[in-house]
Amino acid sequence: MAKGGDSIHIFQGLLVFGNVVIGMCGIALTAECIFFVTDPHGLYPLLEATENDDIYAAAWIGIFVGFALFALSILGIAGVIKSNRTLLLVYIILMLITYAFEMASCITAATHRDFLTPNLFLKQMLERYQKSETDNNNDKWMIKGVTETWDKLMLQNQCCGVRGPSDWQEYTSAFRIMHSDADFPWPRNCCVMDAQGSPINLDGCKLGIPGYYNSNGCYDAISGPMNTHAWGVAWFGFAILCWTFCVLLGTMFYWSRIEY
Amino acid sequence: MLSPWVVLAFCCLGQLCADQSVKPHLAAPHLATNNPTLTTVALEKPFCIFDSSLRPNKSYIIYLYAMKESASAISSLVTDNSSKPLDSTFQQTSGGQLGPYKAALFSVPNCASPPKLADVGDVNKVSDVLKQYLFRVGDDGTCLYDPNFLAVCNPPLAPDTTYRFKYMLVDSTEGIVKDQTLWSDPIKTRRVRLPLKIDTWPGRRSGDMIVITSILSVLVFLLLAGFLASVSSVVMGSEDSSAETKCMSRTIQQSEPAPQLSSE
Repeated sequence: MAKGGDSIHIFQGLLVFGNVVIGMCGIALTAECIFFVTDPHGLYPLLEATENDDIYAAAWIGIFVGFALFALSILGIAGVIKSNRTLLLVYIILMLITYAFEMASCITAATHRDFLTPNLFLKQMLERYQKSETDNNNDKWMIKGVTETWDKLMLQNQCCGVRGPSDWQEYTSAFRIMHSDADFPWPRNCCVMDAQGSPINLDGCKLGIPGYYNSNGCYDAISGPMNTHAWGVAWFGFAILCWTFCVLLGTMFYWSRIEY
Repeated sequence: MLSPWVVLAFCCLGQLCADQSVKPHLAAPHLATNNPTLTTVALEKPFCIFDSSLRPNKSYIIYLYAMKESASAISSLVTDNSSKPLDSTFQQTSGGQLGPYKAALFSVPNCASPPKLADVGDVNKVSDVLKQYLFRVGDDGTCLYDPNFLAVCNPPLAPDTTYRFKYMLVDSTEGIVKDQTLWSDPIKTRRVRLPLKIDTWPGRRSGDMIVITSILSVLVFLLLAGFLASVSSVVMGSEDSSAETKCMSRTIQQSEPAPQLSSE
C-alpha cells in the first residue's frame, strides 16, 4: 500500500513519542506509589484494623505496573523503529496485560476510597483504642496499631476523637471500660499538653474549658492523606491509561500495516 | 433619699428570695463545655446567696446534698427534727436512690471578691478560679473503695439518671442549718450509645469511581476490539498476498513459454 515515506516516518515518530511519555509516566507512577506505600503519615494501622486497606493494594499494583510500563515502552520504541512484527506483537500483548492490571488498580483505589467514612473510623476507635482484653494475636496487633496511631494523631494534630471529644462522651467504648468517666472524660492526649508531655491543667481538660482541651476532630487529619493517596493512584493511573489507549491503538494499526 | 428604705426593702426581699427562688445550677456553659458528663455534674458554688443569713464572728460551712429525682417520692428531707443537717452517705442511700446524701462540704464562697472568669485563660490562675467558682459532683472515683477514707465521699453518679441538688448553710459551731436553697431543677447525666449501632455503610458510590470504572471499561473493550481487528486484517492480508503471489507465478509461467514458441 502506498503510504509515502514521510507519513510513515511521522507516524513512527508519533508512536516513539507516545512510548517515551508512557515510559516516563511509568517511572512517575512507580515513584508515586512507593511514596504512598511507605505511609508517611502513619495511618496504615487504622485501615488495617478496619480491614479496608485495599487502597494500599492498589498502590502496590501501581508500583509494578509503573515499572512494566517503563520496560514495555522501551520495547515499543525498539519495535517501531525496526518495524519488527514480532517485537510489536509481543509489545501489544504485554501492554494489554499491563493495561488490565492498571485498570484494576485504578478502580480499586477509587472504589475503596468510598468506604473510608467518619463512622468507620469512629467505630474502630471506640472498639479498639486501649482495649485491654485481646481475643487473639491478630486482635492484639490491631489494638496496638490503633492505640499508637490515635495517640500520635491526637498529639501531633491537636485534635480529639473523629468528630470531636464528644465522641468519647456519646458512645461507650473499650476505653470507657478501663477508665472512669470522672477521671477520663476523654483520653489524656485530648488535653493541651505542655513541653513535657503532660496536660497543662487536668481539671480544665476534664471540664472542657476552652484552651485546655482539643475541641476539633481528627477526621480531617485522617481523610486528607487518604484522599491524596486514593485519588493520586486512581486519577494518575486513569490519565496514563487514556494516553496508553491512544498509543496502543496507533501501534496496532502500525503493526497491521507492516509488510513483511 | 429613699435609698435606705429601698435597701432595707431589698434586703427583706432578698431574705425571702433566698428561700423561695434560688436553686443550684450548672456552671457557666461557655466555661465548662463538658457538663454534665456521664457521671459528673459541675455546679456553680452559691455566690451571694446566703449572705443575708451570715452573721459576723460566726463560721459557716456550706453542705451540698444530692439525690436522684426518683427519691423525692421516698424522702427529700435534709434536716432532722432538731434542724441539724442529715448525715447520710452515698452508700447509705444507694447513690441517692433512697434519699439525699451529703456530697460535699466547703467554705462559704466569697461574695465580695468573686473569682474572675476571664482569668481562666491564665494557666497559673485557672486552678484557683475553678476551685473557687464551681464544684464537680462525682469527681472522686476512689473514695468509695478506700476503707481509710474518712471525709465526705463524692463518688461518680450514675449515667442517664436525673439528679437534684441542694445547698445548705450550716453554722459550724452549733451545727444547725441556718439557710438552704430549693432543690435544683432536674439535671440529667448523659447517656451512652453502643458503638455496635454505628452505621458504617458508605452510602452512594461517588462520582469519580463511576467515571473511572465506566470509561476504563469502554477503553478496554475498544482496545480488545482493535486488537482483534488488526489481527484479522493481518491474517486476511497474508492470505490475499499469498493468493496474489500464486496468481502471479502462474501468469509468469504461462507467459514464459509463449515467446519460445513464436521465436521458432
